[in-house]
Amino acid sequence: MNLRAWLALLGALSVAWLAARAARRRAAGTAGGRRFFASPFAGLGIGVLTFFAVVAVAAPLVAPFHPDRQLDIIDLVDRAPSWSHPLGTDLYSRDLWSRLVYGARVSLGIGALAMAVALTLGAAVGAAAGYFRRATDVVLMRLVDVGIAMPRLFLLIVAASVWQHVSLGALILILGVTGWFGTSRLVRAEVLSLRERDFVTAARALGARPGRIIFRHVLPNVASPLLVSAALGIGNVMLTEAALSFLGIGVRPPTASWGNMIADGAGQIVGAPWTTLFPGLAIALVVMALNATGDALRDALAARPSSYEEET
Amino acid sequence: MGTWLARRLIAAVAIVFAVVTLTFFLMHLGPASPIVPSAEQPLDPDVVARLRQQFGTDQALSVQYVRYLTQLAHGNLAVSFSQRRPVAAALADAIPNTIVLAGAALLVDFGLGLLLGVVMAARARSRLDAGLGNATLFLRSVPTFWLALIVILVFGERLHWFPVGGTIDIVRHHSFSFLGRIADRLWHLALPALTLGVVGAAGTARFQRNATLDALSADYVRTARAKGVTERRIVAVHALRNALLPAITLFGLALPFLLTGAVLIETVFAWPGMGKLAADAIFSRDYPVVLACALAASVMVVAGNLAADVLYAVADPRIRITERDRA
Amino acid sequence: MRRALLPLAALCLLATGARRPADCSGDYCGTLVFAAGGQPDILLPPVSVSALSRDIHDQIFLKLADIGMTLNTVGDRGFVPVLAKRWEWRDSLTLVFHLDPRAHWQDGPPVTAGDVAFTFQAYTDPQVNSSSAPILAHIASVTARDSLTAVFRFRDRYPEMFYDAVYHMRILPAHLLASVPRDHWMSADFGRAPVGDGPYRFVTWTPEYLELAADSTFFLGRPHIRRLLWRFTPNFDVAITQLIADQADALETLGPPPNVPRVQAAKQLALYRYSGTNYAFLQFNLTANGDTTRPHPILSDRQVRRAITMAVDRVKLCQSVWGDLAKAPPGPMPQAWWIWNVGTTPLPYDTTEAARLLTADGWVDSDGDGIRDKGGVKLSLHLATPTSSGSRHRYALLIQGQLKSLGVDIQIDEVDPVTFNQRLLAGLFDAALPAWNTDPTPSSSFAQRWTRAGWGRFNYGRYANPNLERLLGQATLSAADPQSAARAWRAVLDTLNQDAPGVWLFAPDNVAVVHNRVAAVTIRPDSWWALVWTWRIPPDRLLDRDRTER
Repeated sequence: MNLRAWLALLGALSVAWLAARAARRRAAGTAGGRRFFASPFAGLGIGVLTFFAVVAVAAPLVAPFHPDRQLDIIDLVDRAPSWSHPLGTDLYSRDLWSRLVYGARVSLGIGALAMAVALTLGAAVGAAAGYFRRATDVVLMRLVDVGIAMPRLFLLIVAASVWQHVSLGALILILGVTGWFGTSRLVRAEVLSLRERDFVTAARALGARPGRIIFRHVLPNVASPLLVSAALGIGNVMLTEAALSFLGIGVRPPTASWGNMIADGAGQIVGAPWTTLFPGLAIALVVMALNATGDALRDALAARPSSYEEET
Repeated sequence: MGTWLARRLIAAVAIVFAVVTLTFFLMHLGPASPIVPSAEQPLDPDVVARLRQQFGTDQALSVQYVRYLTQLAHGNLAVSFSQRRPVAAALADAIPNTIVLAGAALLVDFGLGLLLGVVMAARARSRLDAGLGNATLFLRSVPTFWLALIVILVFGERLHWFPVGGTIDIVRHHSFSFLGRIADRLWHLALPALTLGVVGAAGTARFQRNATLDALSADYVRTARAKGVTERRIVAVHALRNALLPAITLFGLALPFLLTGAVLIETVFAWPGMGKLAADAIFSRDYPVVLACALAASVMVVAGNLAADVLYAVADPRIRITERDRA
Repeated sequence: MRRALLPLAALCLLATGARRPADCSGDYCGTLVFAAGGQPDILLPPVSVSALSRDIHDQIFLKLADIGMTLNTVGDRGFVPVLAKRWEWRDSLTLVFHLDPRAHWQDGPPVTAGDVAFTFQAYTDPQVNSSSAPILAHIASVTARDSLTAVFRFRDRYPEMFYDAVYHMRILPAHLLASVPRDHWMSADFGRAPVGDGPYRFVTWTPEYLELAADSTFFLGRPHIRRLLWRFTPNFDVAITQLIADQADALETLGPPPNVPRVQAAKQLALYRYSGTNYAFLQFNLTANGDTTRPHPILSDRQVRRAITMAVDRVKLCQSVWGDLAKAPPGPMPQAWWIWNVGTTPLPYDTTEAARLLTADGWVDSDGDGIRDKGGVKLSLHLATPTSSGSRHRYALLIQGQLKSLGVDIQIDEVDPVTFNQRLLAGLFDAALPAWNTDPTPSSSFAQRWTRAGWGRFNYGRYANPNLERLLGQATLSAADPQSAARAWRAVLDTLNQDAPGVWLFAPDNVAVVHNRVAAVTIRPDSWWALVWTWRIPPDRLLDRDRTER
């Protein structure tokens, strides 16, 4: 591992630490912010997430080697961690740290994008169901019931076996399309209660169209629970993607994803446990950070006084 | 109660029907050729005929759909490509194993999870609470299959406390007495069920902690405290009853989690259940098996949710009453 | 909590003490557990394909005569009588077998010549579609002169007539299989619960294991080892782990180097080296993926195949995956075949030449994405590999990396072994990584794999070269004379290597692992467990699991 890579790593760590400190300082100003940072690990969670986000974005800088490069298939196979390869090498003599860094791109990217798709769909469906009620509500919520009935992994397995080669984009889409059900219920509940508020009645009386009402008045107030849902949901998507890649139907080799790194290493867990240990720890760290942040957000937003009147 | 139950049943059946339809259309969105083999593909003509009967692609979609439904209604799930025998037979072998695993994991999940949650709430903000909170946070965030690999490495290979895979000791199982056979099965069940259950328990514990804290901060509890009732009695008698009610809703959520987890745990532990069957079938492109497993899983989830709803209604009469008023 | 301890302890005591006493003692006890990385497909000899199925059904079914340890396939001196007590040549084209009257099927009836005739008809019936049918093409007919005399008539004379007559066919029970429609043999119930005439009988087959029990009335001698179990593991690594943990007793190959020290450290295991009869290679499909009537758009071009072959560093790959335990073969052959040393030279590892060949052929990277293309078609191939082989999975990844620098894109398809075989047989692949456990002699297998006679069967890539077939015919005829045979085979192999229908990847030295309590272990290289029925476990070395009855 060369100097550039070490420097980049240090840089990422410093950025993460500074970001966490800055966030804490800024948040100390509001009550909600103080509540947020009162939760254990909230600050650490922000730091970890920032670190991995920076590392993922700056992957070419941080990674000393190309993730797919088989460095020396005779001498560098399954090497234990050392100064030149801080996380060791895997079965195909690829540097594990480089793979982890590029894998962060893939796993985090898939998580974020799939969650974006899920949030959009869930918010749209939930808002429509909650606002229009009656027929629309019934139909959409039955659809949600059907969606929740089939465990996600089985649906994904059916999809994977029918389409023999699932591209990255298709994978993100499928993950998103199978993950919006909980969000829609959440949004629907919020919208149902907001619907009866004075400011919505006023807007309707003034002749605003439903779309405008939903977008300008209702949805902004749903933002907080959506944010919590997002934080916790990304973790879920990442675990699902890891499971798919482990089963062999997610991200295809040689592209690195934390899930298929675990699959690659599973066969030598006795002889070279680091090949399985580090990607798993990475997933655990990121999902822990997401969970901690999501929990802290939920706690912080729960006791927030109603600020709905501000919107009109 | 009767009408409410009837409505729930009809809804459940409707959901299963919708899932069946969904999977049918999903199958037909993919390339058609895998189901109807090419001229030289050495599949038994018997197999081909039965598959064409169920999935025949030479007719209108609606005709195929009706045919598909009638086949399912007769319990005919077609023939597995790779096992050369009816899918129903393969499922019949596999489902009991998954039910046993999921059942045991459920016991661990709720047994351990509820206990931990109550303990954490009773000792809120202490070091025990913080420690348990960290542990549950870790377990909630860890990939189940990775945890399973580590568990096998430590408990199976290094410590030799438990066997590594399988449901029975194939050499000696049939020579055991009845009790011995049960013990043998339990010993093989321990590691997979514990791994799956502990991850679920972490989530249950957190949920239960919050629910119990809410219950503990209620007015009636404050009254009891003011009256001088011991803390232990407050927790055990007053708060617990109300705190356990939301746990029933968790039961409905736990099922999809357990079935999903079963796929991964069964693969890692070589446990011959429905999950492993589905995961193996991916590599055989064994569509009939994959489809049947997905359907079976959905039926289980719907049935479980129905059971949870009934349990909740029995436990909390308010639900039944308010349901009647709703449209 | 404390109150619960007492009944719990009582339960445990009951459980451990309440086992039926292990009661077997003496010379005929023993339980042998084989670790198998995968499942058998079906236990019906003409239609089963996997080596695992063969291992199992060869304990249940017998051949007329079996090959001896020398693996001499020329003439009949290298063979041992089994179902046939003796035989003679009536004339140069007629071979007569006299069956042993003591042989009987496990459900009662004796084995008759009618069964032999029935077996030949089944093996050669196109509806059964046995992969052994082309090898039996030299045999014109098999008839039953009387209940104990079977007559084989050949079409022509050649050195390995006797070998062809006895080696491939396992004799089947006509009285049980005659009623099964020939085109349903592949999914016949019989294949999941076979009845044979061999030293072991079938007991049970579950998704976890398969069990056979010794037939105490076996006419060639009661097997000493009472129970044979095959434990199915998801993959090879788990099989090794179970072996080391003393949950399995035998495994036919150690596999890659990291396993050697692990196994050597396990004190209860003994290693047995024997000539390797396996090899693996990268097979190209010369016809289109999914349509065997059209040529493959990329791989039907000889120059492309040669270029790809030269871009794969076979020696280095072999060393990386296998260390010292395997060699890169000079052609499609295992180390056990004598033709290893005839002096043929495979295509060299030369990436510059490979790149030049592709460019000269019109394959250039016109859009800068790192993948060569020509006329709008990308040089992208799907490489199929079975889930059961860890070493081939590694090879797939390594080859993908090596070919990337050449500008060839490889997509890896991992499928389960049964599907893998189905796809190979149907031509549903671009490139694949098959591995063979071969027959003792090259002559029959070569024709099956590299000539037109093997199309739709083992010639997966549908390669055909009339020149090669002519040379092969000459080589087969000259089998009796070593020098001319060597010359002939060198010509065959040189032709094959120049055409590059595949890349010859590895041929392992085989090391079998068997628990050291088992005595009289003999391993025949072509079918490692064929002689298990002669093994024994001395009474003073019986373990607990040997003594338990079922």
